Amino acid sequence: MDLARYMEAASELMDLPVAAEWRPGTLRFLGLAAEMADTLDRVPLDDAELVMAPVFSPEGGNDDG
Amino acid sequence: MTDDTPGRWATASGIAGAVGSGRISATAVAEDCLARIAALNPEVNAFTAVTARRALAEALSVDAAIAGGRPPGPLAGVPFAVKNLFDVEGLATLAGSKINRDRPPARRDALLIRRLRAAGAVLVGTLGMGEYAYDFTGENAHDGACRNPHDLSRMTGGSSSGCGAATAAGLAPISLGSDTNGSLRVPASLCGVFSLKPTYGRLPRTGTFSFVDSLDHLGPFARSARDLALAHDAMQGPDDGDHACSRRPPDPVLSGLDSLPGDMTVGLPGGWFARNLGEAAQEAVEMVSEALTSLGVAQVPVDLDAAEAGRAAAYLVTNSESAAFHLDRLRARAAEFDPDTRDRFLAGALLPAAWVARAQRVRAWWLARALEVFAGVDALVVPATPVSAPLRGETRLALGGRVLPLRPNLGLLAQPFSCIGLPVVTVPVFLPGELPVGVQVVTPPWCEGRALAIARALERTGLARAHPPALPIPEAPLRRSATAL
Repeated sequence: MDLARYMEAASELMDLPVAAEWRPGTLRFLGLAAEMADTLDRVPLDDAELVMAPVFSPEGGNDDG
Repeated sequence: MTDDTPGRWATASGIAGAVGSGRISATAVAEDCLARIAALNPEVNAFTAVTARRALAEALSVDAAIAGGRPPGPLAGVPFAVKNLFDVEGLATLAGSKINRDRPPARRDALLIRRLRAAGAVLVGTLGMGEYAYDFTGENAHDGACRNPHDLSRMTGGSSSGCGAATAAGLAPISLGSDTNGSLRVPASLCGVFSLKPTYGRLPRTGTFSFVDSLDHLGPFARSARDLALAHDAMQGPDDGDHACSRRPPDPVLSGLDSLPGDMTVGLPGGWFARNLGEAAQEAVEMVSEALTSLGVAQVPVDLDAAEAGRAAAYLVTNSESAAFHLDRLRARAAEFDPDTRDRFLAGALLPAAWVARAQRVRAWWLARALEVFAGVDALVVPATPVSAPLRGETRLALGGRVLPLRPNLGLLAQPFSCIGLPVVTVPVFLPGELPVGVQVVTPPWCEGRALAIARALERTGLARAHPPALPIPEAPLRRSATAL
């Protein structure tokens, strides 16, 4: 697939400009992410395997930080 | 010098014992530590702030407690330093960035600093790190690279680079770092010290600057397994300020440290892990295996190849979640990011959501596979890095006949285990005449004590030991305590 066209479209959608000098690096990392996604596609997930971590808890807590 | 003699290479337990028994004052220990930092930090570039005045005041309060007959705490007078993503009252929390220098000073110390202080430890400063923790190298465009005390031309590893450098150089017997994909383990490996990445949710992250909330852990570096246990016990316990912190009560590990459980079996992963090992890492794990045999620990090969997908899941969750966290900063101030992190953050902000959703499912799948393996073994032993410290500035990593980009791959053996939150103790292995390589001891969730007991047993064999660096560390004699107390 043409990652450069994807980058252009996604950066416009996200309102996140990618300056010309940063495009080669950004493309390289998009390509690496695509390789990782490929690896994930090869995992034989069952439809029942739906654990969507991280798990949100409504218990909350105080702001101690 | 023995471990019990306070001095430049003293352990935390040695210092605490000497201070607690009145053999030396906490003030003298702090003054000595600050002098070493002043002399050596220009060489290793570990500290970004030295809290000298505060350290001396804290040391004085430890001495006053002892003089007043009050218990000074299990870490009495022990100097410690923290990665600069921990809030320190009066300092902006930098997280290795330029942008965060605009933040107001923190109004209160991070919780783990408060807990170490309550145990008698003395904060001596904050430590450099890779920008926003997105780093395995120890390089930083804003602060300069941290330098490996065992060879200043080489990387410390990251992102807790200052922690690895400071603890290895004898500037902080204990330092606190964070680990999202390997940042407690890669610097421990390259700098030749111990680290503990506890189970995800064990130690509260209250008052620290996040990288990837669903993967971030905090933990200690030290130069002995005992010091890790001392620090860990002082920091445990739930806190409402961290939504991911477990409600489990503290599970003290120090008392069981010297008791290696009998009939233990350790798993040695082959396959994907073996294909991603350099020669030194291979040799280090073989030496650990021999030491385990000498301890009567059975070992079996295990298939842990699901880790490859687990690592890919970690990569995508990290890339996406961290970029979303920094999205406003990327939109408004991208030019102020470190060039080595900016392009990766930009890419992360553009990932398809389906990739990330699948990564979360694969993360759970990988945890299930790992727990199946733990049904047959008590622990796993895996090198922490595929190689020993690369030269600073290196950008490529040769592994298994391939040449890979170094920055994202230096932590590839560590990433799978933080992705599923398992506790890991990294032990240093010094090959004769070589730079160190760390080996991970990985145990099931909440079994930090078992990992530490194995690390301690390996330490007792003489194999897993932190070595003093070749740096010309000044060995000023410490003043005795009588007058200071």
